Amino acid sequence: MQKPDSQREKIIELLEHAGGATEDAVAQVSRETGVPEADIWGTGKFYSLIATPGKRVRICDGLTCQMAGADELAKKISDSGQAYERVSCLGQCDLAIATLTEDMKLKTYGKNETSVTPNDPNLAINLAGPVDLSYAALNKARQLGPAAVIEQLEASGLQGRGGAGFPAHIKWKSLRAQTETQRYVICNADEAEPGTFKDRETILRQPHKMLEGLAIAAAMIETTDIYIYIRGEYGHEYESINRAIEESGDQLSEFNFTVVRGHGAYICGEETALLESLEGKRGMPRLKPPFPTESGFRGKPSLIHNVETIACVPSIVHHGGQHFKDLGRTEAGSKLYCISGHINKPGVYELPLGVTLDELVAAAGGYLGTPLAFSPGGASSGFLPIEMRTLPLDYKNLADAGSMMGSSGVVVLNDTVDMAQAAGWQLEFFERESCGQCAPCRIGSRYLRRQNDDYLKHGDPIAFEHADDVAWEMEEGSICGLGMVAAKPLESAREHFPDHFKTK
Amino acid sequence: MNQSFQITLDGQTVTAHTGETVFDVAKREGVSIPSLCHDSRLEPAGACRVCLVEVAGQRRLQPGCAWVVTPDMQIETQTDRIQRHRTVLYNLYMADHEIDDAGLPVETGNENQLRKLCQSVPSMGLTPIQAPRSGRPLDDNPYIKFEPDLCILCARCTRYCDEVEAVNAITLANRGSETTIATAGQRSLMETTCELCGGCIDTCPTGALIEKKAPSNLVQLGEIESFRSTCNFCGVGCQLNLHVQNDRVVKVTSPPPGDTLNDGNLCIKGRFAYDFIHHQDRITEPLIRDKNGQLQPATWEQAIAATANGLNAVREKHGPDALGFISSSRCTGEENYLMQKLARAAFGTNNIHQCAAT
Amino acid sequence: MTNSIDEIRDTDMMFVIGSNTTEAHPIIAMEMKRARQRGAKLVVADPRKIWLAEMADLHLQLKPGTDVWLLSAMANVIISENLYDQAFIEKHTTDFDHVVEKVKSYTPEEAEKITGVPAEDIRTAARWYATTKHAGIYYTLGITEHTHGTDNVYCLANLVLMTGHLGVKSAGMNPLRGQNNVQGANDAGATPVYYPGYQKVTDVSVKSKFETAWGVGLSAHDGLNLNEMMKEMAKGNLKAVYVMGEDIVISEPNVTKVETGLNRCEFVVCQEIFHNETTRFADVILPGACFAEKDGVFTNSDRRIQRVRKAVDPPGKARPDWRILCDIARTSGYAMPNYLSTEEVFAEFASLTPQIKGISYQRLEATPAGLQWPCPDENHPGTPTLHLDGPMVGTAPFQAVDYRPSAELPDNDYPLVLSTGRTLYHYNSATQTRRDAGPATKQRGNFIEINLRDAKRLGIQHGNRVEVASRRGTICAEAWISPRVRVGCIWMPMHFAENRANLLTNDAGDSVTGTGEYKVCAVKVRAVEALPNAPANALLETR
Repeated sequence: MQKPDSQREKIIELLEHAGGATEDAVAQVSRETGVPEADIWGTGKFYSLIATPGKRVRICDGLTCQMAGADELAKKISDSGQAYERVSCLGQCDLAIATLTEDMKLKTYGKNETSVTPNDPNLAINLAGPVDLSYAALNKARQLGPAAVIEQLEASGLQGRGGAGFPAHIKWKSLRAQTETQRYVICNADEAEPGTFKDRETILRQPHKMLEGLAIAAAMIETTDIYIYIRGEYGHEYESINRAIEESGDQLSEFNFTVVRGHGAYICGEETALLESLEGKRGMPRLKPPFPTESGFRGKPSLIHNVETIACVPSIVHHGGQHFKDLGRTEAGSKLYCISGHINKPGVYELPLGVTLDELVAAAGGYLGTPLAFSPGGASSGFLPIEMRTLPLDYKNLADAGSMMGSSGVVVLNDTVDMAQAAGWQLEFFERESCGQCAPCRIGSRYLRRQNDDYLKHGDPIAFEHADDVAWEMEEGSICGLGMVAAKPLESAREHFPDHFKTK
Repeated sequence: MNQSFQITLDGQTVTAHTGETVFDVAKREGVSIPSLCHDSRLEPAGACRVCLVEVAGQRRLQPGCAWVVTPDMQIETQTDRIQRHRTVLYNLYMADHEIDDAGLPVETGNENQLRKLCQSVPSMGLTPIQAPRSGRPLDDNPYIKFEPDLCILCARCTRYCDEVEAVNAITLANRGSETTIATAGQRSLMETTCELCGGCIDTCPTGALIEKKAPSNLVQLGEIESFRSTCNFCGVGCQLNLHVQNDRVVKVTSPPPGDTLNDGNLCIKGRFAYDFIHHQDRITEPLIRDKNGQLQPATWEQAIAATANGLNAVREKHGPDALGFISSSRCTGEENYLMQKLARAAFGTNNIHQCAAT
Repeated sequence: MTNSIDEIRDTDMMFVIGSNTTEAHPIIAMEMKRARQRGAKLVVADPRKIWLAEMADLHLQLKPGTDVWLLSAMANVIISENLYDQAFIEKHTTDFDHVVEKVKSYTPEEAEKITGVPAEDIRTAARWYATTKHAGIYYTLGITEHTHGTDNVYCLANLVLMTGHLGVKSAGMNPLRGQNNVQGANDAGATPVYYPGYQKVTDVSVKSKFETAWGVGLSAHDGLNLNEMMKEMAKGNLKAVYVMGEDIVISEPNVTKVETGLNRCEFVVCQEIFHNETTRFADVILPGACFAEKDGVFTNSDRRIQRVRKAVDPPGKARPDWRILCDIARTSGYAMPNYLSTEEVFAEFASLTPQIKGISYQRLEATPAGLQWPCPDENHPGTPTLHLDGPMVGTAPFQAVDYRPSAELPDNDYPLVLSTGRTLYHYNSATQTRRDAGPATKQRGNFIEINLRDAKRLGIQHGNRVEVASRRGTICAEAWISPRVRVGCIWMPMHFAENRANLLTNDAGDSVTGTGEYKVCAVKVRAVEALPNAPANALLETR
């Protein structure tokens, strides 16, 4: 049993400083925190950045980086005698190929700079706009009071931008209805969905929009405790947040900001896994209910929002809900679309929610080569055929098409890509990032990856004999969203590109 | 606030109470819902996914062990959807489990509940996934063996170790298909906080954790004899099942949780310290000390007579209160009754006591 | 125990004193951990920082033997802050005013000086205990193994009574029994002052009841308790002993005196399953059966009678102990009935014992969780919690007691306080547990726990061989430097035959029960280069 005064929440960071999950480090952290050694070991071994000590280059094997030739780069690095490790998407798809050096510094091999939508003060986030340090929206929100602010939030139609699309105002209302007065606002900056880098740009270019949104949320649900959980691979972004907190001066002095770094686990972007990680545990999703709005961080009501969602809030407060709603086309608001892959100008474009792929690619300088397929919302959304280029990219239309809006990390694939190979890259990602808690996901993701490997090797579609059943069970039986979508890349590729899965 | 209300379970209207889970209601109503990761002593984990049921109004299947019922809730446990779910899930488990010649999950010295479940569905013959799950082959503890190829990662053992025994000696480690049950640094259990209570063995549903001491074929032998008894160590009074093979106690387990005061739990002494029963040092015949001070084997008649004579001689010479009878708090109630009766009725003294400070 | 073991999980506050529960009663400790994880408060009073203390809200690390001060100061707080249960006191108790008067001078500040426990902690513990409805006291030999053990128990009882924590679920006064059948042995009359069922041997009507039942005249005066027997034996007044299932040369305090006594005896009988230190003195050794080889009942800490069932035959010619006892009675001239089974013995025992009159083997078969006495008739369901409807008979008197120091306090010659106890891995004289690989590997031999400061002062390093000496004897052990013990105190387990802790302990007995003072005696410790020739231990060699 843990001692009453043990400091579980600190163990992951302490373990990192002590050199990773080694026996000595675990013993040391156990002495320092009073947390049992086994718990520290089990937790440390969960997070890929600390699980295995030792310096090495980390090479991204996300879809865009793979299409850009990450395998060849890995071979080059290996031939040069450097130790390397293949890691999941580093969130630099626009700059592919991405690596982290031995000192955990970002090094990219892409030709382009990141592009963003030019300055337009109408836009909710307006990445290229000037930085506003006035915190006028926060002050306005205070004057309006919670009821009026939540009314505007409802009028805005803001949906969760992390992928689930849950109406934001319902969470705020739920928080206010809790009898427990210790509440938390938590910002999910654990951006790790392959193809996605919008939160990165928001944090780098408009960090105060995020901070102000968090402050408004905290003020409206009557708390001062704000946590920001940012993925460990985002070094500059971590610094950007801390710098912004300093810059904000007295404006935010009443709030307690805690910025917590992740340590290499995609699953911690799932909100309850994120909570576990914040509490110093293995990032294994919790059963829901209870939902975090009732029982979240430390068992207390918690309002959790993605960076983009919360960064929309100042604009909503400032211009009113209707203004935000009108920024959208088929659904409410402007939306940060990430786009990478076989197009000319990869980047983050803030466009009306509901634009088509063609419009998005037009903003991004046009297609490269002959487009074949696209993945509209990260690995979780699977693949769609290019014939759907005129489908509005919004929550409803994509769901109806059997895909999802997800994190709107759009990747375009042209006809040089073998879709079985592309599916294999995504399957590998899910197998590696499965937390291992439930069998459908843990066993299913490995099973499908191995069957796909078998097909790639032997060209015999018998490998997929049971794929539909297993995929069905993963969706039905998994605990969390990761398992539910982990078969999607394979199943959607097999559905839309049957020619790529024939006997060879 | 405990209220009663109606819910519908497989089409039947049944009564439920505030705070109850689907499992609680189903158990009372005699509706069987399979499960692997559930243990009444532990917080529900919903991790094995075996117990998923359909709840009207819920898009997703929900774990019966954790799902709390509310008034008018409609639960289905036997639909085609659930049947398909169980079929594929059990087959996935089989793809991640050591399989025997019969094509079923291997059973060791302890029951494998997964094997029973798998017998209830058609085999899909999924290709084994060969998960790189590490064990601790060098763990030299004398009692507890971990077979990673039989583990389904339901985490009952680690949760038991944390929540019930609370020594936190074992943990889930690694991630995805590499997930395993580990100690800090994969050390021997002897070099951890483990107190060798063996509760992890007891709660393991598949026999991935087994007694090193017990014969490995106990289950296969079928009806081996088992005797319900009470532990002979401390004053808690834990209930035990003594498993007997060829007139030897070969394994000790607790009756299942729920019915007894030990609630399925035992400590190292109760579960494992039974070697003394058949130890070669046991005294196996009466002994009488001869004139030279050497102990010599004797018949029972001789020994009983020597005892009676020895005690009678002292009584006659020095009176009954020159005798002292020291009974034992280790012996049975009947024996203590007889010992004091012996002192009082047969020898006329109240000099009878035992080491019993509390 | 006034309450049941399974009630612990629902308690809201546990006051554990003089009990290393996780080691001595691991399964009860599991219930405590369960309550703790549920949020129940835990206060542990113990001179050592035992594991339970580490998980506690409050650890009162008192100096050994100062329990009366600690508990009286808690009573002082409860009374001076008006936290007592006036209604309960008026209805169910007498003599409260005696205690009120007595504890006036036992202020927390004064108590701090004697016990070493901060006054504020004493106040907090007292307030938590008094103001929580479901608050239970749990104690064991750390309370009773003192010359003032009975006083300690009175102090605890005073706290229970003044707060009305009796007749309430998950509360009460709960001694945790050290052995499987301590309760049952006492219930069965294996005590010098009581027949079965705590019926006084000096009560004429009781005596005549048993004379009728057993068909023989009986002694009218109290017998000697064990401590007294050992002393009379050493003096040469007790001439013969019949020892069944007990290794008195290990388990009694000041065993040198016990050995002297055994040597002086004219006749010694041992009924045992293993040779042990005591059998070395036996004229006759009768091989008995272990629990797996016979039928019967054990009565546990919460008064629960449960069946023991024969699973295997005794080895060789060994026989169930109950049959041996009957044969000896008959051969020595008493007409012991020819019982055909233990069921018949139990029936006779129950018929003479009001508390268990309603219990039979037949009922025990039908109730696998056992039956808890009192169970006065065959329709009675047993009594999990005592006094649920108020005290059963009359009123309970408060007992005002004064602090008396332990019999032997440290001085210049013997500057350290030794306490002894049990560990998780071994049991009593360890004749059973040392024959199993797990316990034998976890703890191979005797050790002491000693504080770093004392160790430094004495030039002792972790793992050193040390010699521990008291006025009564000298033994060797391995030194474990441990933050668990206070400065000036050492601790040692009682299990190891080759280095017996009870060569050191003081046989000064409690004034009422005669229980030896195992928890406090004065010793000195020094590092030694090599282990002197310890008595060869056949038990260890033969495995």
